[in-house]
Amino acid sequence: MAIGEEAIVRSELRWAAVSIGVVSLIMLALIYAGIVHHINPPSNIEPIDPKTLHLSGEFTEANLGTRVSAEGQVTSRIVATQFTFQPRCIVLPANQRVTLRFATPDVIHGILVTGTNVNTMIVPGYVSQVHTVFTRTGELLMPCHEYCGLGHSEMFATLRVVPASEFKPDAQGRVSCDAR
Amino acid sequence: MSTDPLDRPWRLWASVAILSVFVFSVLFGFVLLPIIQGRGAGLDAFESICRALGLRPGSPAAPQPASEAKAQPTTRVAWSAELMQALDRPSAIGAQLAAACTACHGKDGRSVDPKLYPDLAGQSAVALYKQLNDFKSGSRLSAVMAPLAQPLSEEQIVAVSAHFAAFPVRSLPPAQMPAPSEAIERLVARGDPTRAIAACNACHGEQSGGPPEAPRLTHQGAQYLSAQLRAFKSGERRNDIYSRMRNVAAVLSDSEIEGLAGFYSTTFTY
Repeated sequence: MAIGEEAIVRSELRWAAVSIGVVSLIMLALIYAGIVHHINPPSNIEPIDPKTLHLSGEFTEANLGTRVSAEGQVTSRIVATQFTFQPRCIVLPANQRVTLRFATPDVIHGILVTGTNVNTMIVPGYVSQVHTVFTRTGELLMPCHEYCGLGHSEMFATLRVVPASEFKPDAQGRVSCDAR
Repeated sequence: MSTDPLDRPWRLWASVAILSVFVFSVLFGFVLLPIIQGRGAGLDAFESICRALGLRPGSPAAPQPASEAKAQPTTRVAWSAELMQALDRPSAIGAQLAAACTACHGKDGRSVDPKLYPDLAGQSAVALYKQLNDFKSGSRLSAVMAPLAQPLSEEQIVAVSAHFAAFPVRSLPPAQMPAPSEAIERLVARGDPTRAIAACNACHGEQSGGPPEAPRLTHQGAQYLSAQLRAFKSGERRNDIYSRMRNVAAVLSDSEIEGLAGFYSTTFTY
């Protein structure tokens, strides 16, 4: 039984419409995420040596965690490593501009903070930096979202977002979960 | 062969469609979205378009304060490919130096008293190198090991680590092997996601792909292993890079520590 030329073209057009529809739907979802959730690619390129990350400088263990500078800028430095975050609990103030800086000494990790648009990869050799304002207080889960090895599924940290009145830096400007 | 008349309008409209999608993407991605997103970050339209096009650098890192923090007391060890290769080659110097270790760690790296001293036979050379270095720098405290490690040079530490790593592990009599409890086996193989405990295997398993300095735990005395876990838990021992071990030990219960130490002291595998 022969199929007419016209029938073939109609069938092709139908399937073309379906695939255009699927692609358009995905594009609309991306546009929605870009406009409503402010999802955008990271724009900070800052190299750092992963082999000596722990030896000196910004990301030594003693220097990690939340710190308020003399100008009042809140910065939290966090290391993602196989298979833990250091520190594992991070205190941050609500409704205030904060900067999160991440680095890793070993493999590619990634983080997202649940319920917010904070989402970045953490690549060895680079500092990942995110500026944000947390509008809700409470404990937010921050899991590793880039497969990093056998312990990946047990790798997460907690962000404790507290009202500005409860955010009390010590004499060095540091704030940690243990202190509260 | 004549051109099919049905094809002609189709080709025209396909080109128009592709071109308009392209124009829309360029306008949306480089103009519209940067303006909308830039407004939230306090950037004017021109600046945000320039940044989207890559003509201006994206948000530069705020100047970071110079930090005085040094690695003490964590560790001073850093890994490199050359060091890893050197640790793979046992040498005659290593055998000579090892004479100083035999009183406690035994002639072939098999401890004379596994309760107190770990077996060195078959241990990873990378782990041995890091511990010797940490004893030397004071990152890991030991009244016995510190004076022995301090006079060693970098090359000597590499040699003696490679020497002991080359010995075969001690054989365990099968009669000593009780069946491990299910909960302990789960911690070793699966970890505990609710407490953020990665499986022991994720780092200490053979060829696990975890941190290179993670030591082999099998064939060690249960008392030695539980003493180390308790020291990590209390923070008395803190030479693990970025609290990898302290974070885990901190949430282990005392019975789990005993169970894990028992498991590793009586198992061949892992």
